[in-house]
Amino acid sequence: MLAYQIRIAWSSLRRTPVLSALLVAGIALGVAVATTFVTTFHVLAADPIPGKSDRLFYVQVDNWSPERPWDRDRPQEPPDQLAWREVQGLLASEIPTRQAGMFKANLTVHPRGQAERPFRALTRVTNADFFEMFDVPFLYGGPWDSVAEADRAPVVVLDEATNRRLFGGEDGVGETVRIEDRDFTVVGVLAPWTPRPKFFDVTNGALEEPEALYVPLGLTPDMELSSAGNRSNWKPFDGEDYADFLESESVWLQMWVELPTEEQRQAYEDFLAAYVREQQALGRLTRPVNNRLRDVREWLTVEEVVPPEARSMLIIGLLFLLVCSINLIGILLGKFLGRAPEVGVRRALGASRGAVFGQHLVECEVVGLLGGAVGIALSAVVLRVLNRLFTEDVELFALDLTMLGAGVALALVAGLIAGLYPAWRICRVAPATYLKQQ
Amino acid sequence: MIRMERVSKVYRTEHVETHALSSFTVAVDPGEFVTVMGPSGSGKTTFLNVAGLLDVFDGGSYRLDGEDVAKLSDRAMSRIRNEKIGFIFQSFNLIPDLDVFDNVDVPLRYRGLGGRERKSLIEEAVATVGLSSRLRHHPSQLSGGQQQRVAVARAIVGRPRLILADEPTGNLDSAMATDILGLLEEINAAGTTVVMVTHDPELAARAPRQIHMLDGRLMDFSRDVPAPLFDPARPRLDPALSL
Repeated sequence: MLAYQIRIAWSSLRRTPVLSALLVAGIALGVAVATTFVTTFHVLAADPIPGKSDRLFYVQVDNWSPERPWDRDRPQEPPDQLAWREVQGLLASEIPTRQAGMFKANLTVHPRGQAERPFRALTRVTNADFFEMFDVPFLYGGPWDSVAEADRAPVVVLDEATNRRLFGGEDGVGETVRIEDRDFTVVGVLAPWTPRPKFFDVTNGALEEPEALYVPLGLTPDMELSSAGNRSNWKPFDGEDYADFLESESVWLQMWVELPTEEQRQAYEDFLAAYVREQQALGRLTRPVNNRLRDVREWLTVEEVVPPEARSMLIIGLLFLLVCSINLIGILLGKFLGRAPEVGVRRALGASRGAVFGQHLVECEVVGLLGGAVGIALSAVVLRVLNRLFTEDVELFALDLTMLGAGVALALVAGLIAGLYPAWRICRVAPATYLKQQ
Repeated sequence: MIRMERVSKVYRTEHVETHALSSFTVAVDPGEFVTVMGPSGSGKTTFLNVAGLLDVFDGGSYRLDGEDVAKLSDRAMSRIRNEKIGFIFQSFNLIPDLDVFDNVDVPLRYRGLGGRERKSLIEEAVATVGLSSRLRHHPSQLSGGQQQRVAVARAIVGRPRLILADEPTGNLDSAMATDILGLLEEINAAGTTVVMVTHDPELAARAPRQIHMLDGRLMDFSRDVPAPLFDPARPRLDPALSL
């Protein structure tokens, strides 16, 4: 029966092409707007690392000025990054299952041969645990080992695009790459990996793509690496060299720990508090103890990765779809009532009210699906434009299967909203009324 | 087949009440061929609509094929229309988007029959009306007489026990009208009860039994005993129209 109803609906739509186009356009517009905002919200609000997000914790320690908080609007908040000294001190803990300090650098890569010129590559300077902690997939090789970590060995992990650029996509593991002033050995090549949002470093842009290179954090002092991300100070730097900078209160690193159990979490909080008290005894960290351990979702919320505007736009998008649907009620009602004589005939031939209602609802859903298809296509175009506007061509906002499903669902709901009342009205038509009007 | 007793039907607007059927009593036995005549507004179509469960009535009782229809649900009435009644209308009432096959298919679709069975029934019905070569023609490609033949095929495809025809020859020339009436007579001869509204006395005279209506009442008949016939307040029908 459904196939028959769809056939009738299709025939009805073809009978009035202009009206049908208007109906489809109305739904398409609503679905396009709603799907775009739902997708935007979905990307920003999604759990970037399902299954682990509640056991990965971002570490914050308040090393800010004793006279003023780091954030005047949120005085209870400690700085959103750590100083080098804190990261080094905290990495000494054996409580976390895994841990990684990190920052973003911008390093120069010198390809072999003369054919290609040196290029700058965003680099994540971090610990080996980074890869396992964040479930980073490898195409070739793997993370550097603990020996390389301890020895501060010049090893590097490349992302897939850089491996392709340097080695033509062949397995680059074991090859040598010159980065800045020294040769690095490639130990791993990542498979395509685009966590959305880039949760491990939202302070420097939640919408950015992951870095192209990954090198050990231990190389930082030797290579005098500087951050390509945000850096904050509460007092002027008065040191003379890079070693002084590393000892300063400047905050520019992020740190994550993996604490799978509540006991580990409690122990690590105690460890943090003890660390701060120890530093206070040494004359540092003069503010009251104000540490934070926030899991992934909590950290994204604090950092407003999903801006309040996105939530508002989501609601506006859905309301827009509702308005579009409501506007179509009148058109559908007119269209259906215009077909009342045919309905009268069908009723005379045995169609029940339910059958007539169902048939017209199916027609509305066919309109909804057609409008949905156009709307989803429009939404894909709009999302592409948004990517260009806000993320420098990164495919951050994209219609994945979930969003395609959401688009279809929105289209069906829109069809339902638009069609319920007209379908109900036409099924209430007395069959005898129109039989003489054919 | 049809048992109506003192059935009334009133159409109400804001200022006017129209008694389309007033204490209307009639009985039609299975296998009968009955024609209904009367001037415009006499209630013929209302009678057919009520008889065909296309309209509800306000008073009295109505048993169709032994079943009291007064308290049936819409679904039950639809099922009866689908399974027991075939309708033929003056203006054919074919669905213009559908070809002959699909038009005849409509009642079978609501009966939920399988494709093979429907095809067989459709081809048989269309053959009965002599339009097998026009199965994929649309109504606009057919003459008036052919369209009414399709309507007849649609009415009989479900093998109903009762055919209700509302002026089925009203839009046809006399040759085509005779043709359609011949079809109805064949259908009746096969055992199907036929009730036909017509304005044409010649066609009406071909039926074994005629009913005359005026102001929603039975005015003249060959067997039923309607009260209005003996109501002195009511005008008597012109004897020339009586049988």
